[in-house]
Amino acid sequence: MRSLSRSTASRASGRPEIFRKIMDWITRIRSSFDGRKCPDDDVIEELAQHAAAAYNAARADGCSSSEAEARISDQISRWAQDADLLHRRPSRAPAAEPPPASSRWGFGLVRDFRYALRLLRRQPGHTAAVLATIVLGVAVAGLLFSVTYGVLLKPLPWPDADQLVRLYETRQGSPRRPSLMTNASYLAWRENPATLEGLGAWSDSLMTLTGTGDPERITITEATPGLFSILRALPVMGRLFSPESGGKSDETEAILSHSLWEQRFGGRTDVLGRDIILDGRAYHIIGVMPASFAFPDRDTRAWLSFLVQPVVDPAHPEMRSLSMFAAIGRLRAGASAEQAAAEGTARVRGGPDPGLVAEAVFGVKGAPIVLAVPYLKSMTENVRQALLVFLAAVGLLLAVATGNVALLQLARGATRHREFAIRAALGAGSGRLMRQMLVENIVLGTIGGGLAIVLVGWLHHMLPILLPDDFPRAGEIAMDWRVAGFALALSLLASVMAGLLPALHTRRLNLAGTLAEDGSAPVGGGSRTATSRTRAIIMAAQVAMACVLLVGAGLLMRSFVAVAHADRGYDPENVLTARLAMPSTSFTDFQRAALLTRLIERLKVTPGVTNAAVAATIPLGQGRSMSAFTMTRKDGTIITARALQRLVSTDYFAALRIRLLRGRLFSDSDANLSAPAVMVVNRAFASQYFHDDAVGTPISQKFNEDRPGGSIIGVVENVSYGSVTAKAEPEYYMCTGQLSRGMAYDEPYLIARTHGSPANLLLSLRSILKEQDPLLVPESMMTMTDRLQSSLARPRLYSILLGGFAGFALLIAGVGLFGTLSYGVAHRAREIAVRTALGAAPRDIVILVASQALIVTACGAIVGVAAAAALVRLISSMLYGVTTRDPVSFTVVPLVVLFAAAIACMVPARRASRIDPNKLLH
Amino acid sequence: METRRISQELKRGSTELLILSLLEERPRHGYEIAQQIEERSGGAISFYVASLYPTLYRLEDRGLIEGRWVERQGQRRRRYYRLKPPGRKVLASQRSVWDAFFVALDRVARIRPA
Repeated sequence: MRSLSRSTASRASGRPEIFRKIMDWITRIRSSFDGRKCPDDDVIEELAQHAAAAYNAARADGCSSSEAEARISDQISRWAQDADLLHRRPSRAPAAEPPPASSRWGFGLVRDFRYALRLLRRQPGHTAAVLATIVLGVAVAGLLFSVTYGVLLKPLPWPDADQLVRLYETRQGSPRRPSLMTNASYLAWRENPATLEGLGAWSDSLMTLTGTGDPERITITEATPGLFSILRALPVMGRLFSPESGGKSDETEAILSHSLWEQRFGGRTDVLGRDIILDGRAYHIIGVMPASFAFPDRDTRAWLSFLVQPVVDPAHPEMRSLSMFAAIGRLRAGASAEQAAAEGTARVRGGPDPGLVAEAVFGVKGAPIVLAVPYLKSMTENVRQALLVFLAAVGLLLAVATGNVALLQLARGATRHREFAIRAALGAGSGRLMRQMLVENIVLGTIGGGLAIVLVGWLHHMLPILLPDDFPRAGEIAMDWRVAGFALALSLLASVMAGLLPALHTRRLNLAGTLAEDGSAPVGGGSRTATSRTRAIIMAAQVAMACVLLVGAGLLMRSFVAVAHADRGYDPENVLTARLAMPSTSFTDFQRAALLTRLIERLKVTPGVTNAAVAATIPLGQGRSMSAFTMTRKDGTIITARALQRLVSTDYFAALRIRLLRGRLFSDSDANLSAPAVMVVNRAFASQYFHDDAVGTPISQKFNEDRPGGSIIGVVENVSYGSVTAKAEPEYYMCTGQLSRGMAYDEPYLIARTHGSPANLLLSLRSILKEQDPLLVPESMMTMTDRLQSSLARPRLYSILLGGFAGFALLIAGVGLFGTLSYGVAHRAREIAVRTALGAAPRDIVILVASQALIVTACGAIVGVAAAAALVRLISSMLYGVTTRDPVSFTVVPLVVLFAAAIACMVPARRASRIDPNKLLH
Repeated sequence: METRRISQELKRGSTELLILSLLEERPRHGYEIAQQIEERSGGAISFYVASLYPTLYRLEDRGLIEGRWVERQGQRRRRYYRLKPPGRKVLASQRSVWDAFFVALDRVARIRPA
């Protein structure tokens, strides 16, 4: 009642006298109902109008004002007597009865589904846009889930695998990452462990398989007999190594993998008792493992018996023999990995001291420490963090995509208000309307989920190309019901979440209100109305999430560039490398040394080759040798140097262009058995042990094999033999020509620097090898740049993945911005036309549209950059050469986002500026 | 005296017919409906205003007519009523009933409708 008076009063001010009269009539009529039920405001107003009109007519008929007043007063008093007939207009009944909801609920649902399908077919553009966004987002998320599940969560294939722990050994203060265990620790702990049911050890190697078909290099795992019982594995045929066989070094038994048995022996059952020839030596086949058994991974084709040698050989008590291998244990029931580690550490400290050799291996002289890590975790710890980061990134990407779908649904919801108003008028409650909208989104989600499953299945075929070779458990990644269920659930969740906002808008459906609201929805998403506020928040959130992804991607890309262009201490361009298989069963040390010398001489005269060398290992190659020895400084103090040994031929430094810092390199005159012993050290060695003054330091007799005493002759730059991120360790180079045994390594590397592309040398090198020795098998022939590229596969994948996600997110956010702006411009066409008609220049209209969009983007970018600053620490361990506060990434990303937003709003803004008021306003 | 009696006797049964007939031509507001009835009947049917609005609301509730506030430039908003399709049907049927009634009156009392 009060509201009517207020609104009428406001309308009346400044209007003709008749309106003020009506105000009076309203007051009089209302007061005449005093004490009775007063009719609705609408009725009062209608009666007042009648009274005013009757009064005016009476006056026009010549009645005096008092006569006219009296006539109307009479009428008003009659209305007041009939108050019961007027007092309230009954609420309008629905024009059509709604279907009885309770009894026909299921039928209604089916009808909703049919209607939703019809609607999707009728709006193919909208359906395709929503589906494409959902399908792409969900498929990427589904694939990441599949990889994460397969690698990190899928149980290991052995019974009670959660009790398996990988055992590592290290030393207090060791700079090296623990990866293996020593025989000293293993043997000290093996007998009656309290926390473990047992220990097992293994070691992988490549061997040449001959005798049945073509020679083939295969991976062989030497395993202790206890290993199989720890894994609770049984052979499909034959038997396992008996516990005694591990104690006899001359025992030569082999167990075949299922694949080798089928490939080489045709799956024949009479294979037991036959021999298999590995590196020219015969092994007795005693069993075949089932196809499901793979340990340590699928590369292993056969298992040989592994004997862990004691540190002190009773025959030579003065000698210390240290060997290293991988070890595993099975926890006893109730024991934890921490308890096992504590027991292992205590047992190892009570065992024999391997002395200097252990110092060489661990790089320090510290107390032994044993670590026990759940086996699954130990297999995947290299990729765990990256996978979790990418899973989170995909979550953000999906959220951006869901935001877009919500924007699309909001836009369509606005155009469907009329439909909802009609449905409401026909008796549909807000719950019924919400159900209809949710059903539509469920249908979209189901279709999207189905398509996403197909796409995920297809993407699984791409995984072997995408994932680096050394990616752990890659074989476990498979498309299964979990992945399909996850994709479907995610798709439903995303579409229902996206549909929730428009559905909630239908709850407060008010035809007049919503139409008015929609008409005044700001172009760029200002905050004048609830709908446009929701749009603006969604767009800002999308921009913020895209910013987080972009900053992460920017850091990883810059890190990758830094790694790829890092100074490794050598020049990888124009270098061909080959690893040669020269097993001691086929070559004596002397034969090997002589053959390698011939190969170098032959290569040196090959056209296109500038330098040729051999080495025990090369950068990014396999194998390492560690030493600890005493040296006397120039001031007379004796130090123990712990360093990595690099065995190389004289031309090695030239072939890899390793820079000489002081002194000189090996020369041909050094490369003979009678020359004084010489040593080249790296910069880390010189600075750690000799304060950079290493040249001229005498080296002990140990190195010169009864040769005249020599000295350190040169210092070279540190070379990254492994990861460029690893800290440089002290290293020393020995010349192969000075050692009577020559290259005492089964798999030396051949290195050739060429004038042009080293790939041109591949064929010549093969024929040279064949010409020198027909049995010489090159294990891997790769250019140095290829080695480098494959070593960068993981950081490259990470930066490409996050870059892809970020680019995708930016694209989605940009498309969302574009779509919302276009929609806004279309809906405000009249308003823009009025502005233009009133003199707004095209520039003003462009600024109007663009500024609102850019404000939303800027707000999103600020929030996103702040969130990124807080989140980047999650990837700090994946970075090299950039900090988590990298000013470039944090500056460029907001600029890129604003630029993308400017592009996204360019077309709608120009369209708005071209609206012709002559066509729209008439 | 005579016209007053006609008015009293007929108005109850004919009110709906009168309103629907007037709205058949075009939408009208309440006062106009009352005016038209009085004018067209030559003052014979002076409408009892108190019953006009309850009748209009009842017709609206039955879905025969529809009332809508219409605001015109420089004028106060007014509530206009228009005939809806169901109202058109009811009007047609009431006309035929009244036709039959007047035919009967003519036959019995030789009274013809005007």
